[in-house]
Amino acid sequence: MSTPSSGTTQVNNNNNNNNDINDTPTVFLPINFLKCSRSDLIVLISRMLVFLIQINDNNAKAEEQKDESAETKLTRFHSSTPPNISIYNYLIRLTKYSALESAVLLSSVYYIDLLSSIYPAFTLNSLTAHRYLLTATSVASKGLCDSCCTNAHYAKVGGVQCSELNILEEEFLRKVNYRVIPRDDNIMLCKFEHQQHEFSTTSLNVMPKEFEQPMLQRNSGYNVLGMYYRKMILLIGSFSSSPDKSRKVDYKLEEPQSNLNNTSNAKVELDLSQNGNPRPANKRPYEMSSGNNSDAGTYQRNAKNNVSEMNHNKKLATTEIKMRSND
Amino acid sequence: MSSQFKQLEKLGNGTYATVYKGLNKTTGVYVALKEVKLDSEEGTPSTAIREISLMKELKHENIVRLYDVIHTENKLTLVFEYMDNDLKKYMDSLTVGNSPQGLELHLVKYFQWQLLEGLAFCHANKILNRDLKPQNLLINKKGQLKLGDFGLARAFGIPVNTFSSEVVTLWYRAPDVLMGSRTYTTSIDIWSCGCILAEMITGKPLFPGTNDEEQLKLIFEMMGMPTEATWPGVSQLPKYAASSASFQQQHPNAALQGPKDLKELLQVNCKEKLDDVVINLLHGLLQLNPDMRLSAKQALHHTWFAEYYQRPTN
Repeated sequence: MSTPSSGTTQVNNNNNNNNDINDTPTVFLPINFLKCSRSDLIVLISRMLVFLIQINDNNAKAEEQKDESAETKLTRFHSSTPPNISIYNYLIRLTKYSALESAVLLSSVYYIDLLSSIYPAFTLNSLTAHRYLLTATSVASKGLCDSCCTNAHYAKVGGVQCSELNILEEEFLRKVNYRVIPRDDNIMLCKFEHQQHEFSTTSLNVMPKEFEQPMLQRNSGYNVLGMYYRKMILLIGSFSSSPDKSRKVDYKLEEPQSNLNNTSNAKVELDLSQNGNPRPANKRPYEMSSGNNSDAGTYQRNAKNNVSEMNHNKKLATTEIKMRSND
Repeated sequence: MSSQFKQLEKLGNGTYATVYKGLNKTTGVYVALKEVKLDSEEGTPSTAIREISLMKELKHENIVRLYDVIHTENKLTLVFEYMDNDLKKYMDSLTVGNSPQGLELHLVKYFQWQLLEGLAFCHANKILNRDLKPQNLLINKKGQLKLGDFGLARAFGIPVNTFSSEVVTLWYRAPDVLMGSRTYTTSIDIWSCGCILAEMITGKPLFPGTNDEEQLKLIFEMMGMPTEATWPGVSQLPKYAASSASFQQQHPNAALQGPKDLKELLQVNCKEKLDDVVINLLHGLLQLNPDMRLSAKQALHHTWFAEYYQRPTN
């Protein structure tokens, strides 16, 4: 999370130690994000996005005041007015009706940095966030998971026309040059291809210095999503430092077992790479309602069941939402 | 279609696309153009997103190169390296009358070596192919073999929970996947490599089942019925109990029968004399227990390939 547009470096992490009366419950999240319940993950991601939206909205306002003739660069992701569903509720809606996996949810945060790195006109703000989220989660589901839905389904859940989602998807894939797998170095390679106007770095004879080590070493790490997860907890885990007040809870990362201090990092990476069986998530009082849709239950169905569940969900999605577009 | 390429004859219909031969008008080089129709309901097919995102990073002489992707209004064209033929069509062309013929053993060895080289590269890059079969192995007149279809492939380092068991064409599908395992890893591709090796030797598919049950039955008849002793944890697989029961019903004495003699079975359909070395490799690839199967890298170090790895490197 290092791009200028995300602005995450400016954060002061408020430790809250001075509060005499602190009635905010603290929840310790597992180091492996696969073991984190998706309702907690949604709170985290919503806080992260709202945080970025606030920064970017303020920056835009400041620039407008400086220079009244400054035009906002419109992108495909823009709405004419902010959609009247909160990021938090929108995320819950997408997760519930499109059965988004944890890796998909985290990828949607990662993709902000990926897209911004090669598409400076794009910023996550109150006009772009919803369409961006819908596009990012549907592309991640299609690119990373064995079971996914059609764009017609994603579009219906997300409140846009299917034809519009098709355009957004194409725009997204084209911009990031199909680099949708959150590997180490993916963003740097994406930037490099973009600068060189090349489809793939494999067609280049000259590689940037950082990548001179053998191919195999470059692609051996897949800790990007875990890193985003842990960084988010540090950044907006505390309720008081988050601009999104949807859930009153402080998140902290579980301490690694003390006697394993040296090996704990290696262990996490191992866990992440194994695609092991899901373990029951830590249940919270506010776990998302529909039992068959939350966490462990969802993980165990096969592709066929998934389709039928999707159809079922389609029927469930009776409260339609519509987003106005800018065209 | 971009004017850069001239579209020539149709090469075939893939799972989600039509493939044409094409000519790069500026370079005069032939390419394969894979046209993917963009459905208005589906958007960009997930298979296309997978194939492009995975293949654009794989640069290896035993993997077909993806050069570019061209967007036009209602279709996506993937520009691939051109190959003359695929292994399936090639083996079919050798059929005499109604009897399929195996390849000469030196060619079997060269193809199998290249298959394992390409696969080892995928696995080192944390990519599972999940659809290895003769149709997807492309060959050319120089005797090169390249992995060619990544529509079912996936990156296995990304922790997602839905791992489909509807992967790999039935005849080449590993027994653990057939019994419903979802924790499979690189060993799933190794099983397919074993099936392909046997098929190249005899010209006949090793386990030509018509459904999941029959597929498991054919495998167990040849390799023996796995037990907790030979494969710890096998009884926990979703379909183990059912397949074990039906197998024992059909073969009351199966518990007493060990695995069949692979060498004897393959020799019937092979003109050259098979030695124990290739059979040993085959056993290494076709272990029922996925943890016991060789890795692609280990298989490349097998004695059968000694003539390749002992060759001085240039």
